[in-house]
Amino acid sequence: MSRESPRALAARVLATVWQGARLDEALRQAVRLDYPARDAALVRELCYGTLRFEPRLEFWLTGLLKRPLEAREPELHALLLLGLYQLSEMRVPPHAAIAETVEACRHLFKPWAVQLANAVLRRFQREQAHLMTELPQHEAAYYAHPRWLLERIRQDWPDHWREILAAGNQRPPLTLRVNRLRRTRAALLVELAAAGIAAQACGFSAAGVTVLEPFDVRTQPGFAAGHFSVQDEAAQLAAELLEVHAGMRVLDACAAPGGKTCHLLECCPQAQLLALDNDAGRAQKIHQNLQRLGLAAEVKVADATQPDTWWDGRPFERILLDAPCSASGVIRRHPDIKVRRRPEEVSALVAMQAQMLAALWPLLASGGKLLYVTCSLLAEENAAQVDKFLAAHADARALPIAAHWGVASPPGRQILAGESRMDGFYYACLHKA
Amino acid sequence: MAKLTILHFPDPRLRTRARPVPAVSADIQRLAADMLETMYAAPGIGLAATQVGVDQRLIVVDVSEKGNEPRVFINPEILARAGTETMQEGCLSVPGVFEEVERAASVRVRALDGNGQPLEFDADGLLAVCIQHEIDHLNGKLFVDYLSELKRQRIRKKLEKEQHAARSAERGAAPAI
Repeated sequence: MSRESPRALAARVLATVWQGARLDEALRQAVRLDYPARDAALVRELCYGTLRFEPRLEFWLTGLLKRPLEAREPELHALLLLGLYQLSEMRVPPHAAIAETVEACRHLFKPWAVQLANAVLRRFQREQAHLMTELPQHEAAYYAHPRWLLERIRQDWPDHWREILAAGNQRPPLTLRVNRLRRTRAALLVELAAAGIAAQACGFSAAGVTVLEPFDVRTQPGFAAGHFSVQDEAAQLAAELLEVHAGMRVLDACAAPGGKTCHLLECCPQAQLLALDNDAGRAQKIHQNLQRLGLAAEVKVADATQPDTWWDGRPFERILLDAPCSASGVIRRHPDIKVRRRPEEVSALVAMQAQMLAALWPLLASGGKLLYVTCSLLAEENAAQVDKFLAAHADARALPIAAHWGVASPPGRQILAGESRMDGFYYACLHKA
Repeated sequence: MAKLTILHFPDPRLRTRARPVPAVSADIQRLAADMLETMYAAPGIGLAATQVGVDQRLIVVDVSEKGNEPRVFINPEILARAGTETMQEGCLSVPGVFEEVERAASVRVRALDGNGQPLEFDADGLLAVCIQHEIDHLNGKLFVDYLSELKRQRIRKKLEKEQHAARSAERGAAPAI
């Protein structure tokens, strides 16, 4: 009997990502609970790291191969990239990284590739110093972002693009949100410290706690007991901006997995909240989170752009529109975006966002507030999108966001990825006359 | 010690029902040592004599994290089974394939150890799965037999293709670098 080697398993996971799977989903399916914990951690590290530096590793691999690999060899391709990742970024002794990666060819049952893998990795090791010095001349490889995204971020953020791209190559922090109905932040910090977990209060979100050494939250009893959730600080700012009061009718239009939904209710449990999502599987996660945290909301599987299929005709005083977007602000958390996202998809997302804004605006009560949110850094999805909406809706005006976080990006405010360790988010508050 | 050649599915020799070991001789002990070496080099966590083309009821197993707890079982038998457990399995005779198989969660095993001493013990977890997987080999059974016919055919085709590619590579196709 045999068990799959971590490197072979990581190569198979990566191959499915190239075929369009989401990394977190692919890992959940491939790394089973009975897989040894240490090996599972290595598989995750290899997958996340290889995707984080994919444009650079791909550039090197192309130069190291005399002729391109066959398109039908995605697993071998992934294995060579993760070999280069170990040599360039991980603290694995090079001889072990090479030996184990070459050995994984046999696990993938590609014994014919042993010689090739060995030659590529050894040549990289010999030429590494030289390859590093010439890297700055190749922008996409140097910044480790796909060319199209690099160009767009540079165009949209001429003063900040380098920092944004650098943040996209970082490992994200683990940030928690305390459920203030069950615990105070101070009490949670004491409990974490008692468990040997170093953490500190966030600067902007009153419910936020940043953990300095990420750990598996499921090992902390307070998680199952609903004392806290995992959520980036930037995402925690939504609840405060929306200002929900007791008795208000509130719509969370794209709610799954329910992080912001639950936060709104933790701030104001007496709100009447309707949470929508058009994906039944993901909507199930909203139920799970509500239950774990001891909260109540109505959850519907429905398409936000088709209110006639789910709306009862009574206006909402608050609408949270956390719109589907390029996710260019959370690349450090989901590095598979670097290989999965295509530029043409962004245009489709921009059209979808406009459609959602237009469809939901009539559902907002006069005097009500709609919070438009994306985890994108692209102006087209953010400031330009909201500008376009304001121009077409005379009864809409943007409320200024007075905050110490982010940079003004009228009509809203942008948190740049990596700023104060936060994810990249855009917020615009729209008031209805 | 010597590394042995592992037979690959669909080699018909994997379908042999192995004969009991009549006595734990020096030859049998050498075979066990060679099989352990072969298993560690593969790398695997269990190997049956059938997989190296030897018609004897002998298996070697090491399910420890560090790979430093080798065990030899001669003429192993399962006396009792309890519960069910599903685990992802792979097999050194079916390289590159990892699939879920349902087996008994715990088993009572009787065997001789590498010195011919009788053993009787209960196993659960990975050890139970591994022992059942290896005893299956001694009975000519493979873990792919638990999968659907469709899946087994797909695996057979994939392996035949890879075996063909490996043979052409050995004949000296130029590597891409």
